[in-house]
Amino acid sequence: MNPNKKIKKLIANTKIDTNAQTNKTVLNDTLRALAESKQKPANQPNIRRIIMRSKITKIAAAAVILIAILAGVTFLNKSVTPAYAIEQTIEVIKNVRFMHVIKQDDNGQLIDERWIEIDSEGIQARYRQNTPGRIFVVDDRETVYAHYKDKDTVVLYDPNDHSYTWIHNLRVFFDDLAAKESIIEEYTDYKGRLLHHVRWSPLDTEAYIDPASKLPVIIFDYEISYEEPPEGIFDIPIAPEGVAFFDKRATAPKEDQPEWMNQDEIADKQFTQARKKLSEEKYADAAELFESVVAIQPMRNWAWYWLGRAHHELQDYDAAIEAYSKFTISSYVHYARGLTYIAKGMEENARDDFAKALPSMIRSLRNIKSAHLFDAADDPQDRGRNSGDEKKRRFNMIERLRLAADQNFGYDPELSFEGNEAAISAWEQWWQENALEYGVNEP
Amino acid sequence: MIEDKLLIFRFKQASEIALTRIYQKYKDDLLRLATALLNNNALAEDVVHDCFIVFARSADKLKLTGNLKGYLVTSVANRARNLNKEENVRKTDSLDEALTIEAKTPRPQQWIIYSEQLRDINRALSQLPYDQREVVTLHINGKMKFKTIAKLQNVSINTAQSRYRYGLDKLRQLLDNEAEK
Repeated sequence: MNPNKKIKKLIANTKIDTNAQTNKTVLNDTLRALAESKQKPANQPNIRRIIMRSKITKIAAAAVILIAILAGVTFLNKSVTPAYAIEQTIEVIKNVRFMHVIKQDDNGQLIDERWIEIDSEGIQARYRQNTPGRIFVVDDRETVYAHYKDKDTVVLYDPNDHSYTWIHNLRVFFDDLAAKESIIEEYTDYKGRLLHHVRWSPLDTEAYIDPASKLPVIIFDYEISYEEPPEGIFDIPIAPEGVAFFDKRATAPKEDQPEWMNQDEIADKQFTQARKKLSEEKYADAAELFESVVAIQPMRNWAWYWLGRAHHELQDYDAAIEAYSKFTISSYVHYARGLTYIAKGMEENARDDFAKALPSMIRSLRNIKSAHLFDAADDPQDRGRNSGDEKKRRFNMIERLRLAADQNFGYDPELSFEGNEAAISAWEQWWQENALEYGVNEP
Repeated sequence: MIEDKLLIFRFKQASEIALTRIYQKYKDDLLRLATALLNNNALAEDVVHDCFIVFARSADKLKLTGNLKGYLVTSVANRARNLNKEENVRKTDSLDEALTIEAKTPRPQQWIIYSEQLRDINRALSQLPYDQREVVTLHINGKMKFKTIAKLQNVSINTAQSRYRYGLDKLRQLLDNEAEK
């Protein structure tokens, strides 16, 4: 055992004994203090009534009362059944008709806001999105209105030709999570609200569920509510004065589209060609094409990622790091950049990146579906080719872990998941023991 | 934990049963933490005693944003740190002084019953600078995350983690030396 782990265990397990009589004395003092605090002066306002005026406190108190009622007879019995399971959400989600989704930065500034109508099949119907500075969209299922803020242009599309989606099918989304969620903590405090904190392994993400409604209220840094939207929210607006306008619907009169839309189509074609070049190991050609794509579409994350890959293969590590650094919110990007730092001999930087990738990589060994972005990143031409072949995907992840951690715990690709339990557990154990070395507080 | 949520709810209703349960559940952990921080059992007992008294008086105005244990642990840690700053604790320079303090300040009703192992560990902890001792005990005994400890100590997470590593390394040396005697 790691020597420091021994010390930690020694300290944690050292028992303390106390004098029974002193225990009683201190307890009596404590209870006396409680009794004294119960006696309030006559003219003091009833604090409880004041507190209960606050909506959040009412909700929190109602939730806690609910807990008290449900758990009353089992108060001193440790075997309390969980208050929440994903099946409850799956049941109530069938009745959801509207979602209001908001993302804000730390200063409360709006980053993204969406209103989503859900039809009786659980599929997204009408839609409205406002991403300040980038795009404003309204889709009433007959027309899609898109105002591209950076291009100062409004474009109308047919919904079948061009659409925007947040969750295509709400019911399928949650059905896929059935029996795969794990509860991190029930009734936890989240910014003053009492919510269930859960982990959704297939998505490798965490969410918060409202205990009363069983509906998710926080997913992917978005806050979600389910009220009916204001009147007219899905009405197609009139394009503002001064912006360019183009009608791309099939029934519109034919006219030349804006040059930037031509450029977008060129970028789309080049993106497809670049991926082919990358899979054929023609890295210089791939890099040139991806450079062209990001020049036209600087927000195209996959183009940046594969540009980084192409540069890495060409051993232009500085260019690779620069491309990867355009966006580093995902584990697979941290992993790739970490490998590039290793190639450059920058071990510290590599370690920092691996620290951000390793937790989800190791978690994916038990739920390989959550590794889909790693698989997609490795296969530019046929994304999803390995989906379904869980043995191969798991082995691919093991190979990535071996590269990142420089460890090998004997995983056999010929054996089943159960047959490799020892190797998988060894990775988990290794991370438990070494997370601190990577600067990760809690493995 | 559901039980703690329920305990807090009932405690805020001034339930003696809830307060008794909280006391029984956490007193040993808090005492262990306090003795590790202060290496003076009289002061450690006073700190924990005061912590429970203040807690009991706070029933009608308690606003708990974290967990209950964390709240109590923080309360003990703050008191211990204040005592340490006031230099009411004599730093033990020699291993024998720990025993001397115990003998010279007998309490009519001693609360903590020291085992040999507890004595050895506290003696070793007393050799660490206070900041390192605090990080080690809060993380191991208090189950606090480094992020919370860093905030408590007003340092970066990296500093808190470094203090933890150095503290454990020193403890390992001290306790290995003790084992060899």
